[in-house]
Amino acid sequence: MSQIDPITTEIIRNAFISIANDMNATLIRSAFTPVIYEGKDCSVALIDANGDVLGQSLGLPLFLGNLEICVKLIAEQFGWDYFKDGDVFYMNDSYMTGTHLNDSTIIMPIFWKGQRIGFAASRAHWLDVGAKDPGTPVDSHEIYQEGVRWGPTRLYENGEPREDVIDLLRRNSRFGEATVGDMNAQVAAGKTGEKRLCALFDRFGLETIMAARDEIFQRTETLEREAVQALPDGIYKADGYLDDDGLQSEPLLVNLELTIKGDVMTIDLSGSAAQARGPVNCGMTQTIAAARVAYKLLICSEVSPNGGSFRPLEVTAPARTIFSAQEPAACGWYFSSLGLLIDLVIKALAPALPDKVAAAHYGDSMVITVAGEDPRHNDEFYLMIEPTTGGWGASNGRDGENSLINNVNGSFKDIPVEIFESKYPLRLLSYGIRKDSGGPGKYRGGNGTYREYEVLTDSDLSLWFERSKTTAWGLFDGSAGMPPSVKVEIPGEEAAEYLKANAVPVKCGTVIRCVTGGGGGYGLAFERDTRAVRQDAIDGYVSVDHARDAYGVSLTELLEVNVAETERLRSSSGRH
Amino acid sequence: MLCIDTISSDLMSKYRISADIGGTFTDIVVEPSDAPVFVGKVATTPENPAEGVINGIKELVPDLADVEFFVHGTTVGLNAFLERKGERVLLVLTAGLGDSYTIARGNRHSLYELRYQKPEQLVARRDIHEVRGRLCWDGEELEPLNLSDFEPIIKKVKAEGIKAIAVCFVHAYAYPQHELAAGKILEAKLPGVSVSLSYQVAREWREYERTSSSVMNAYVAPVVERYLSSLQQQLRDMDMQATVHIMQSSGGVSTADSARQNPVFTLLSGPVGGTIAGTALSAATSRPNLLCVDMGGTSFDLSLVIDGKANATLETELEGLPLLMSIVDIATIGTGGGSIAWMEQGAVRVGPRSAGSIPGPACYGRGGTEPTVTDANLFLGRLGAKSLLGGDMSLDTQAACAALKQLADEADMELVAFAEGILSISNAAMADAMRTITVSQGVDPREFTLVAFGGAGPMAAVFLAEELDIGEVLIPRFPGTFSAWGMLQTDLRQDFTHSFFRAADSVTVSQLNEVFVTLEQTGHDAILKEGITADRVSYVRSADMRYVGQEYTINVDIPSGDGIGCAVKNFHLAHATRYGHSSPQAPVEFVNLRVAAYGALDKFSHSMPQQAPDSEPQIGERSIIFGGTLHETPILSREQLPAGFKTVGPVIIEEQSATTVVPPDWIVQLQADGSVLLQRGGSS
Repeated sequence: MSQIDPITTEIIRNAFISIANDMNATLIRSAFTPVIYEGKDCSVALIDANGDVLGQSLGLPLFLGNLEICVKLIAEQFGWDYFKDGDVFYMNDSYMTGTHLNDSTIIMPIFWKGQRIGFAASRAHWLDVGAKDPGTPVDSHEIYQEGVRWGPTRLYENGEPREDVIDLLRRNSRFGEATVGDMNAQVAAGKTGEKRLCALFDRFGLETIMAARDEIFQRTETLEREAVQALPDGIYKADGYLDDDGLQSEPLLVNLELTIKGDVMTIDLSGSAAQARGPVNCGMTQTIAAARVAYKLLICSEVSPNGGSFRPLEVTAPARTIFSAQEPAACGWYFSSLGLLIDLVIKALAPALPDKVAAAHYGDSMVITVAGEDPRHNDEFYLMIEPTTGGWGASNGRDGENSLINNVNGSFKDIPVEIFESKYPLRLLSYGIRKDSGGPGKYRGGNGTYREYEVLTDSDLSLWFERSKTTAWGLFDGSAGMPPSVKVEIPGEEAAEYLKANAVPVKCGTVIRCVTGGGGGYGLAFERDTRAVRQDAIDGYVSVDHARDAYGVSLTELLEVNVAETERLRSSSGRH
Repeated sequence: MLCIDTISSDLMSKYRISADIGGTFTDIVVEPSDAPVFVGKVATTPENPAEGVINGIKELVPDLADVEFFVHGTTVGLNAFLERKGERVLLVLTAGLGDSYTIARGNRHSLYELRYQKPEQLVARRDIHEVRGRLCWDGEELEPLNLSDFEPIIKKVKAEGIKAIAVCFVHAYAYPQHELAAGKILEAKLPGVSVSLSYQVAREWREYERTSSSVMNAYVAPVVERYLSSLQQQLRDMDMQATVHIMQSSGGVSTADSARQNPVFTLLSGPVGGTIAGTALSAATSRPNLLCVDMGGTSFDLSLVIDGKANATLETELEGLPLLMSIVDIATIGTGGGSIAWMEQGAVRVGPRSAGSIPGPACYGRGGTEPTVTDANLFLGRLGAKSLLGGDMSLDTQAACAALKQLADEADMELVAFAEGILSISNAAMADAMRTITVSQGVDPREFTLVAFGGAGPMAAVFLAEELDIGEVLIPRFPGTFSAWGMLQTDLRQDFTHSFFRAADSVTVSQLNEVFVTLEQTGHDAILKEGITADRVSYVRSADMRYVGQEYTINVDIPSGDGIGCAVKNFHLAHATRYGHSSPQAPVEFVNLRVAAYGALDKFSHSMPQQAPDSEPQIGERSIIFGGTLHETPILSREQLPAGFKTVGPVIIEEQSATTVVPPDWIVQLQADGSVLLQRGGSS
């Protein structure tokens, strides 16, 4: 390693991150679909010639540390010389990228003075890639039903677009123009990365930049190894279940064994469910990325990720599990198991990091889709699809947040009632915070949400609600949050409750009440400050009955604490 | 009074005066009718900011009866918010949907926090009350407003002495009848209680954002009201006849009386003055595109002037709480002279932690021991020990040196290289942040002239320009009070919005005009109320437009007389600039129509030429390190630069409120309007 002064290293380190930020700004600025430019369902990375990250913009967490694996997989398959100046690659194969086919990965090698110096890579969610149903079908059982599957394919060669290939992309989407628009945005992001990285090489030269890179990676690795080293050696375990795979009603086990040995953390998923028939599978690349997210939430969270990050982390799973899917497994709803995995890694490490961890959150995206013909707009096809917020887990010293979007989503915002009702033939009857749903604890789990829809024209209902079997668990004697539920009342029929559905016909006048779960509590509920319980009752987060039953706090009609009665409750019953 | 630059003693003068109340200092700019502009700076009096303003004016202007126009930017509302010392607000929302404010759209502002908490809100859930009564999206009444639901609310407000109420009903942006009825009941039953109706504060859809804006308005209204009443009374007592004007976040001004209605519009009035000053400078120097950089001790504000106009937006956030209003778009970057240098794992980092003004940089001698950017500037000689506040504040070079040395030793670096390195890291990081912001706006910084002001801006300006490959830098006259000066360069402004959801191909020009004319009539009346004659009123029409299916809109100017086709064409163009592409074939729709009504104010001049100097410009010489080499650098006094003055760096230009650092090879030219132009030379 050549000598380099710390000032130059710092300027180069900041520049790497800044280049990634510029790429991200370019992508978001020029994307066609709101899911990218508003929902920020995208991620970019600047990668070096060996496939290690120089800088990453903190986009969608679930894609953290995924893009470099994609670069390495291409190199593994075809060799590093496969990348030529002027190439731009597209790929979406779930078994390579790990995610569903809608997620487009675009990789551009960067050359400087004839030498390959790195890659600009990005990932973004495309609206439609030609699945059997619009968007992402909820009942697919083979990847071929989920869209057109691409291995690494050149969109550009010698700097020129391959119009025939791009035309194929356009023809295989229900929203072809938007797809090509989003593709162009990703290419523009790549070009921004290329331009700025070459300018940085012009300014500092290859040798200085390589020395700075080595120094930066080395430091990050050292910091992370120290943090892992500080955790007590041992085997940490956690498990939980997905409700089902969407097609069969059997629960699916997610089982992890996490080993800390010296400065290495290993996550072994071998006890987890075998590859499922329904679309809940994901590729290993995405499993590693999800594990990295969990790791990042606990280890050196403030350090910007780079090629030195995650070196102490190993993730393993045998072939053909839900986490290491192979052809022809369906992967459309790949993130349900990953949201659970992230929470479970945190649960496993709770004994080692009691002040950093949080109890589980409500767990999944809880997606409702209503589609049909809108009589207000000449019977045009409409598609209302939205995830639902829920309660987050409590942590030491802090209650969990109420009604917040789940961990694998990006910058999602709920659709305002005013926009919702103008846009769709649906009315929102009520939307609010679900009282008493957060897991009791010394620190209370966040409450879930209810959202009640009235259908104003005959339509079809699809649902993907999860985590009713493994609800959000508490930590350190905190209790679990309440499970989700969906109630459908079709006029003239008996009310029905179910969590998953594919295109169920619902008549005009149907009321759908979606309710999401609360987060887990932290610590013993009977140790919760009685004043905090009283405040919760005044603010309506906790009912008087629940305050008594779950927290052992007796409140008067005027919501004052009945001290004597509270003492009696807390000393006699309830304490384990 | 700390200082006065120049005093004109001509008793026949009339004056236009602006005051910008900052956290530490209140800047005052005086524009006499017949003499050059002069400025003053006094200490801000936080407990009663009016006192500082009045003290300052009294010392600058002999007789307040001669003041023709008075405008000021106030942080009273903003501070009440930041310190959470506003009024307790009771919030009234639509039954069934009363949690929309508390849920706050359910999103996360930062994605890597396991223990994430939503932004702290201004109304606790216990103070949110639901009222029955429901309108449909198209205005149909599904359920009439339930008047009996107001009874417990009125009882509570009386019993608990609540002074502010905000009301937001679903779909009221288009159909305000229920809100109007609610306002009537509440005002009749609760005299003296301030009531903010959402459709009056922000007539736009999205109930959470509109509620948040209304709550903010209610929260600061009583505080702003008390402050304005006190200021007006005191000024009247001193015979000032001029109406008090308040700077608005939109870049226009309004009378104090009108600011009382919607005090939320004044919330961010301070920094906006700098951008408006930028537009005046743009006109005076014939440079349409400016990158305005306002750098103080702890923060760094970036805004753009594009084609001579301040770049504006219709929505902003304060500590995570959204506000819907017309506002000059200012990005704040968390770095400044106070950014602290520190070591991590043998690596040198600068910021994001700042020493602020207390304890401040080590050289302030107020107990700071960690080296900051200011300490490095002082150590390298770019900042003189006596250059702050015209020598009124002296800096401790030894303390700066000691703080730097300790860290340099730890980094095993030579002291000079280390100090310069800290500045390099800080400048590169600032430039990086600036570049990302301009990229996301669709703007290439190289096509812009950099304008640097604020106490610390002129010191870093050229270095930022070099990082961004910008060839031209302007340092305005009186950079330390540039924002206050900007407040004198603008006009009365009131904004009006009407929601108008229509596909562009289904609308006729006359339908569009009908709405615009109604809005203009409202604007006309409002501006006339501000004491302006009808011949001085003008309007700017615009529309929020988007492609059908998109969620978010772009605001496009619609010159009156233009057809729908022009509007659509302008939208495609604006989309291409903002997002990098457009779809000329795709259908376009209108969402809101807007009118900004202006009332032209008399101005004496748009520039600040210097008076003829009375001595040589060079007042000294210092050894200053640039690029690791020591340069004997002349120190010039800004006030003594003769007309047409030209020189080449290295040179330091000192003045009352700022120090301009010009490294070797940059060319310095004094401009006719009083600004200093720095251009990259070709001799390197």
